[in-house]
Amino acid sequence: MNTRPAKPQETIFVTTPESIPERGTLSPPTAPGTGDQTAGYAAPSEAPNGLGVELQDLHAHYGQQHAVRGVSLTFASNKVTAIIGPSGCGKSTLLRCINRMHEEIAGATATGRVLLDGRDVYEQGLDVVSVRRAIGMVFQKPNPFPTMSIFDNVAAGLRLTGTKGVDLRERVERSLVGAGLWDEVKDRLGSAGAGLSGGQQQRLCIARTIAVEPDVILMDEPCSALDPIATLRIEELIDVLKARYTIVIVTHNMQQAGRVADSTAFMLSGELIEVGPTSQIFTKPDDDRTEQYVSGRFG
Amino acid sequence: MRGREVPVETRHQFREELLRIEEAALEGLDMVVHALELTTTALDGQDARHASLVIGGDDRIDDRYLEVHESILSLIAREAPVATDLRTVAAILHTIRHVERMGDQCVNICKLIPLAGNEPPVHTAILGRIDEMSQRLRLQILDAKRCFSERNLALADVVARSDAQINRLNREIFQIALEVGNDFDTREWAMHMMLVARCLERIGDNAVDICEQVAFVVTGKFREFSDASHPNIGRSSGDAPWRGV
Amino acid sequence: MSELVPISPRRRRTDLIMRGIFAAGTMLALVPLGFIIYYLLRRGLGAWSWHFFTSDPTGRFLGDPGGIKSAIIGTILIVVLATAIAVPLGIGVALYLVEYGKRGRLANIVRYFIDVMTGVPSIVFGLFIYIVLILSGGFGGFAAWKGSVALSLLMLPVVTRSSEVVLELVPNGLREAGLALGSPRWRLIGRVILPTALPGLVTGSLLAVARAAGETAPLLFTAFAVNATTFNIGQQMNSLPIQIFNDVRQAQDRIVDRAWGGALTLVVMILLATLVARLISRRSHSA
Repeated sequence: MNTRPAKPQETIFVTTPESIPERGTLSPPTAPGTGDQTAGYAAPSEAPNGLGVELQDLHAHYGQQHAVRGVSLTFASNKVTAIIGPSGCGKSTLLRCINRMHEEIAGATATGRVLLDGRDVYEQGLDVVSVRRAIGMVFQKPNPFPTMSIFDNVAAGLRLTGTKGVDLRERVERSLVGAGLWDEVKDRLGSAGAGLSGGQQQRLCIARTIAVEPDVILMDEPCSALDPIATLRIEELIDVLKARYTIVIVTHNMQQAGRVADSTAFMLSGELIEVGPTSQIFTKPDDDRTEQYVSGRFG
Repeated sequence: MRGREVPVETRHQFREELLRIEEAALEGLDMVVHALELTTTALDGQDARHASLVIGGDDRIDDRYLEVHESILSLIAREAPVATDLRTVAAILHTIRHVERMGDQCVNICKLIPLAGNEPPVHTAILGRIDEMSQRLRLQILDAKRCFSERNLALADVVARSDAQINRLNREIFQIALEVGNDFDTREWAMHMMLVARCLERIGDNAVDICEQVAFVVTGKFREFSDASHPNIGRSSGDAPWRGV
Repeated sequence: MSELVPISPRRRRTDLIMRGIFAAGTMLALVPLGFIIYYLLRRGLGAWSWHFFTSDPTGRFLGDPGGIKSAIIGTILIVVLATAIAVPLGIGVALYLVEYGKRGRLANIVRYFIDVMTGVPSIVFGLFIYIVLILSGGFGGFAAWKGSVALSLLMLPVVTRSSEVVLELVPNGLREAGLALGSPRWRLIGRVILPTALPGLVTGSLLAVARAAGETAPLLFTAFAVNATTFNIGQQMNSLPIQIFNDVRQAQDRIVDRAWGGALTLVVMILLATLVARLISRRSHSA
């Protein structure tokens, strides 16, 4: 069934990886001031392994309220797609339908298909846990677990899903490096996760998310609660992460969409109005309503 | 808005500021028309006084250029315009540069006038065409201004057609000047008139360029109305190689 | 332009009067408490002695009435057993209400009944256990563990209510984070929610313990009383509230004094439990 290039670890549903073979050595963090933009990040040592996601006629309801109306949209693998739109347009709801978090809300329903590399995540009988391991999520407000240390926080995803046979120390280190946080916390992995600054906490949450090695990372306004410098660091991180993951980011900050996204989708009142390459959306959008929104004529 | 409810206007200050900058840039065209009128008078009477007025008045056009340029940079830095606003901003920058070039061409013409001698021969074939070029140009520039402020692409076609005539007149003047005679003074004068015609033709090109900018703002595509490699008017030369997307 | 003016004498006077009223009200409310503490200390401290804490009541009217050792041990045993029953049950119900039932019909019904239970007089619990576990004949006679069951019924709604409040205070973002990582809900509860809520849960439970330790009525019909110290929860067992209840009705002054000493002991024990609860919650807030 798999026609993708060989990947050491299959993240197709319901199977649990037995062990993680060596993915290549971690590159040592470069000294500060060398000007190397990827300082502290592990260079991907293999082919990109994000998967594409396709939404087909997705509808979502909160009881009677029709929040997402028939959205069909493709998220290209190893690319960043931004979803923009005014408050209440359904973009966060749409995001939560992708990793089936939407159904955790009482009275919430969703119909349609969400295909991860061709397989519908809403298929009958599928273990929702396996869906969420393949599709991770980072939230607006950083939410590290307060009773756990930094190490435990990053390992939490593995422990909470009962994953066995993984070298925790190695995985935690690799994840913290991948999130650009390793240098800052390597000497205090045992200290409380809640003792970091807002930007660091969010990067910790990102490390926690990538520790379970998902294929897709969903981000729901990840920088809204952060100051501008922390925001830029995370945007830089997104640019590095897309080499290994497919990223979908919901943002109300259009400049951010402009900076990080390869494609941008515009939603209004639950509908997908337009999607296209980011630079086209921001220089010559096709739809009048998109033009109105990005020019700030309403929102 | 096609039947949808009218959205509440936001970014008032931004839109007003953009409009003011656009008007300031277009006013430059009025200044160019005025300079052109003075230039025409100077040409008719070989009048050094009018010529020096034009040369001195070019400072106003240059100042206007700097002012618009600075305002645009400030607007971009502060307001991050996108979509149509972004294209408008780019068009204004191009336009004010064309305005400045047009002003410079008028100055070039006026600098040629005292060189033409105090007792110039009256060669109606050439002088008549120069006059016709000036009259056409005046209308052409005003049409270009209206084209921009109204975003009226029909006027762009009018300007392109008029410019074809300007080019024709320029070629004719060139031909006549070649055969103007053996008298040194006359030949010298004819040479200068040829240069004048070329300056006028350049002014015409700048006006057409402004209309191309308007087409870009409206359609998002850049289309050369006419250039050296494609002398036919009104026909699209195809997309310029650097058109985006 | 608005003007900045000094406070007017009338405003100042009104302010002082209101402060005075509130202070007087507070004092008024504290007066009975002050009296209780005063009397307890005055009548109870005199009864305290080494003998008081280390010997059992002798049951004799003349001569040495003995101490209250069996009562203290009995109270501790009975209350610990009651806690062991009520706290896990109470937290369990609270977990159901917060994590699973939420606003559903069954959850609302459960909440309603828990609220009703908080209002039930403690003697009714005692009678209930008496009828079900003693009179019915199948379980034997008076026994300490039956007293514990009665007390646990009393504690259950208190533990449930306070635990529910604490669990709802756990930020929803933590649940979302755990679920998004692919955690099943029960693991999330065990590894994230309970540890986060732990200080609050402990505080709530300790307060329920403090309440139950002083209840007399449920024990009257269930554990009854004996004088001797016993660790057998299948038999009757002494407890402080019962001991005080019996002693205070006697004619002998020494025995009545023992009642006061017992009351003071009980109050001190409850005070200690409350202090521990506060210490725990303060430490968790500063962490």
